[in-house]
Amino acid sequence: MIGRTAGRLGPVAAAVVALAVTLAASAVALVLGGYDPAAAYGALLRGAVGSPSQFLSISLVRATPLILTGLAVALAFRSGIWNIGAEGQLYAGAIAGAWVGIHGSGLPPAVVLPAVALAAGVAGCLWALIPTLLKVRMGVGEVITTLLMNFVGIHLAAYTVHGPMQEARGVFPQTDLIAEAARLPRLIPGTRLHAGFILALGLALLIWLVMRFSVYGFQVRAVGASPAAAAVAGRIRTRRVVVVTFLLSGALAGIGGGVEVSGVTYALYENFSPGYGYTAIAVALLAGLHPLGVVATGIFFGALEGGAGAMQREAGIPAVWVNVIEALVILAVLAVDRAVRRLQVGRKPDGDADSPEPARARGARTLSLEGT
Amino acid sequence: MCLRFRPIPRVQDDLPVKAEGSGSHRGRSSVQLVDIAKRFGPLVALDGVHLTAVEGEVHAVLGENGAGKTTLMNVLAGMLRPERGRIVIEGSEAHFHTPREAGAAGVGMVHQHFTLVPDMTVLENVALGVRSAGRGFRFPRDRIRRRITDLIHRTGLAADPEAFVRDLTVGGRQRVEILKLLFRDPRILVMDEPTAVLAPQEVSQLFEILRSLAAEGRTVLLIAHKLDEVLAVADRVTVLRDGATVLTAPRQEVDPGVLARAMVGRPLATVERSEEEVEGDSVAQLSGVWVAGARGEASLRGVDLVVRRGGIVGVGGVEGNGQRELALVLSGRLSPDRGTASLPDDSGLIPQDRCHEGVIPEFSLTENMALALHRRPRFRIGPLLRWALIRDETRVAMLRFGVRARGASTLAGTLSGGNQQKLIVSRELSRRPDLLVAENPTRGLDIAATEFVHREIFELRAGPIPNAGRGRAGLLESTRVSGHRPGVVLISTDLDDVLALSDRIFVMVRGKLVEVPPEMRNREGMGSLMLAGGASEGRRGESAP
Amino acid sequence: MDAATASAFLEASVRLGVPLALAALGEVVTERSGVINIGLEGSIIAGALGGALGALAWSSPLGGVGAGAMAGAAVAAVFALFAVVLNADQIIAGTAVTLGGLGATGAVYQGVFGATGTALTIPTLGSVPIPVLSSVPVVGPALFDQAVTAYLAYGLALVLWIFLFRTELGLELRAVGESPAAAEASSIRVRWTRFWATLFGGALGGVAGAHLALAYAGTFAQGMSAGRGFIAIAVVVLARWNPGGVLLAALFFGVASALQFFLQALGLDLPYQLFLALPYVLTLAALAGWLGRSRAPSALALPWPPH
Repeated sequence: MIGRTAGRLGPVAAAVVALAVTLAASAVALVLGGYDPAAAYGALLRGAVGSPSQFLSISLVRATPLILTGLAVALAFRSGIWNIGAEGQLYAGAIAGAWVGIHGSGLPPAVVLPAVALAAGVAGCLWALIPTLLKVRMGVGEVITTLLMNFVGIHLAAYTVHGPMQEARGVFPQTDLIAEAARLPRLIPGTRLHAGFILALGLALLIWLVMRFSVYGFQVRAVGASPAAAAVAGRIRTRRVVVVTFLLSGALAGIGGGVEVSGVTYALYENFSPGYGYTAIAVALLAGLHPLGVVATGIFFGALEGGAGAMQREAGIPAVWVNVIEALVILAVLAVDRAVRRLQVGRKPDGDADSPEPARARGARTLSLEGT
Repeated sequence: MCLRFRPIPRVQDDLPVKAEGSGSHRGRSSVQLVDIAKRFGPLVALDGVHLTAVEGEVHAVLGENGAGKTTLMNVLAGMLRPERGRIVIEGSEAHFHTPREAGAAGVGMVHQHFTLVPDMTVLENVALGVRSAGRGFRFPRDRIRRRITDLIHRTGLAADPEAFVRDLTVGGRQRVEILKLLFRDPRILVMDEPTAVLAPQEVSQLFEILRSLAAEGRTVLLIAHKLDEVLAVADRVTVLRDGATVLTAPRQEVDPGVLARAMVGRPLATVERSEEEVEGDSVAQLSGVWVAGARGEASLRGVDLVVRRGGIVGVGGVEGNGQRELALVLSGRLSPDRGTASLPDDSGLIPQDRCHEGVIPEFSLTENMALALHRRPRFRIGPLLRWALIRDETRVAMLRFGVRARGASTLAGTLSGGNQQKLIVSRELSRRPDLLVAENPTRGLDIAATEFVHREIFELRAGPIPNAGRGRAGLLESTRVSGHRPGVVLISTDLDDVLALSDRIFVMVRGKLVEVPPEMRNREGMGSLMLAGGASEGRRGESAP
Repeated sequence: MDAATASAFLEASVRLGVPLALAALGEVVTERSGVINIGLEGSIIAGALGGALGALAWSSPLGGVGAGAMAGAAVAAVFALFAVVLNADQIIAGTAVTLGGLGATGAVYQGVFGATGTALTIPTLGSVPIPVLSSVPVVGPALFDQAVTAYLAYGLALVLWIFLFRTELGLELRAVGESPAAAEASSIRVRWTRFWATLFGGALGGVAGAHLALAYAGTFAQGMSAGRGFIAIAVVVLARWNPGGVLLAALFFGVASALQFFLQALGLDLPYQLFLALPYVLTLAALAGWLGRSRAPSALALPWPPH
């Protein structure tokens, strides 16, 4: 799907075109709203990369959960799973990570830090398990179920910080701070950049290697490209690939939540995530679902969101405008993808264009679920 | 472009019944196609087609797959716009932009792939898109039912207006398609390969209907690629080859030899079938296998079958009688609900739906080969794939099977249908299977590719290796060189394929496998078995509810 | 539970169910044409803001409803431009439209009313009791002493049922959703039909949003749609793509949402955050049950022409 076409145009070229379209469209909207786009983008840029320490402390720190959730979305989309639930899975991971971090005092970091990540990953996994089971056992589409699970996750986090995990003082709706040992070390003194960023880079590299060189990665790509051909020609157990990939995707998003607690906030509180799990969709799509591309687009969106505060302060543009830019990025990626496809139709030597058979696509989906 | 607002032409409310006998209209030109050209990207589909049909005739458009027949008819029916040439309908030049415009001019088409809504009734399907009641408000169900009943009486096309299309047999669906077309009262009817899905006896029934429609003064354009059918029904024949008209003549002036040469440009080659029975060891065995279909009814109903190494089992039958499930069960892609299946570990399957199950169009040739090879230990190291080896194997397979592509990293979706099929055949044999199942392996292929597939399947049989020095040696893992032979099951709706290649022949009827005795191994014999099996069950959905 | 409490509880359930019903009724039409509009949430929030601003501008709550419908349709038009005209993936386009809708309404709201968003006082839709019917004990006040938007939902359920199953246009729309190939072969304009069905769904989503702002909250708040667009899509599944079923399914969720207030009123010491999650959990549970297995239009979410 999307990544593949981008691959033919050159993924970087496709992303650049999509970005240019987005910034232009956003500028038009800003002008219509009576703002000065140049001032807006200037403030945004200064806020994001104005100084090295700003870039490291704001943009890269913000990029870390975006890369992790972006990887979650890219992996799921690549296998044809519409996991729109990275936000909920991130919350689940944050709750579990915070719990382990709070109760991990007295243990060495070498034990607590992996425990936090593991707990966060498992929690994200479990959060994805419900939509996974509904998909493969009941045939209920994951789009709606993952979206609904997001709301459940957000309310569950709110409940835990008001109830069972509320800080000992009982004043604010937040947990106690996690143990020192559960805090990710800072990479560069004087900045807030933490080791979670390295973890995100490592996971991106690992996933890229898996997708490219392993049997499992090949199966994921085959199931995503054509469930019917994967089952019939590849004899791939598509249902199993879907289950494993869905759960891995949930785990990645969960780790994103755990890392955010362990590296940045040191506590869980209400509305802990500014929508990382949704931004992740734009991150993954702009990257053409490529794991290494996700690193680049994750940093880009991290910088964008990091600079949004400065844009609001200096140019008076509400920071939520960044969400609009993210939506525009997704739409621009879709538009570029469609345009590339249209150009390619002319190059296709097959004459099949005049005998469309829509029933097949449906059949393919059914087979993928009911196959071995 | 799809959001234009245009007034919608209305269709006359009541069908004028043409009482005139045949002959009164003959001779007036009804369709003239002059020098039509159409290309899809670099592919030239049509280049200089001429065709003239007169009122009251059945006019066959003959040509092999890829000759441009369907493209030409889609141009006539307003689905495609030609780049060059003129369309003249009953004396006036036409420029169709949409099927609706073609319909308003009196041109209607029955497509090769049925275009009915399965979850709607016959009545709703027939009336769909015809705004008979004004601006599209009330659906005049009673009036439509009366008109359909009239049509059924007049034409003899049996159908129950209240039955759901999903419950109809393939033949029943085709009758609904024709009813739907006649409901719009076209003067020019285009039928795209209507016989492909019918049993031989149903074909003659259809031809009677086409003749009576012509006798009413309508023009019937029949797309076909089978000579005997054309000769049986047509008044006049136009032959297309490579997108151009190569012959047009009245029925009396042509014979099968003339038509075949015109179609192919050379005499047809045939594969000779050996009569000896194969005594190899059993590679696959089904006993009492039942499989439930999508809607709960059984699609395999107690199938017994033994496949022996080196033998070719042919399974004929009208599509939708359980062949799909048989292929999936035999090849291990589907577990039976009841009964036992003892099958080899890995078996090859050439699926009929090339583009959706055979290859992944967005994958390279190497990746498509990997669909089979990733299961074999030789091509992996633990959880990792040995892509270099897979790529080498792909290149060898491309050479050996003559897959024409720029390289192993070419995307499969850019290959022609014939080359995709060669890729699939080579991949399925690369599994080194004990069993190879082929489902309509020649559908949609041109003659050369069909011959290729026939030869490859045929040469898997037992016996001395034929034509060993054909110049395609030098293979690493050729089935033929290693002497490894699978048992083959050939499932096809094309009875000629089955008859030409198989050692043992079965007919699939309503989920049951009926062996064809030697004396019935011909089209008529198989046809009567196909119909006899169906008659005992009654026709679903076509009797009164 | 006495009659007054029961009536109040039922009244709250209906009031909470109405926006879901309105949005889901529109989505039934959209989905019957083969388009799943995940961007419905964006239409609802746009309808809420449009409704609030329209009611302010014209000092008329009904004007607000009209403005809400237009805002919802405008958001749906963006979605349709991508999902239908450009034939892009419906799920991704819908997700983007929802994100953009939430962001844009927030930005506009902050731009108009300042960064903190001063509390907005707008003309509200009062309830209009229907004579006789509203005096039936218990159910009367609950069902027939509501805002006009509630009556709109009741009426539309009937009208849309007749449209879908008793008119030629409805037959054509369903054919487009079941088999676009068959529809096209029958000279029906598939994308034209899908485009307008999507706009209609967006307009009703906008009315649902306007109802939230004008009849329910009496103000606009950022993100006040609170996932109702997604629940409405679930309501469509539970209603089996039938307008009649939508009213029942929406009432079910109205009851689930009203439960939190009711239980709080009973003085049960249960954390309200869990009750906020209840409608979503119940939706998941309902989808997991036999209701989730009903058959969707065959061509739902499939592009046309196929890629």
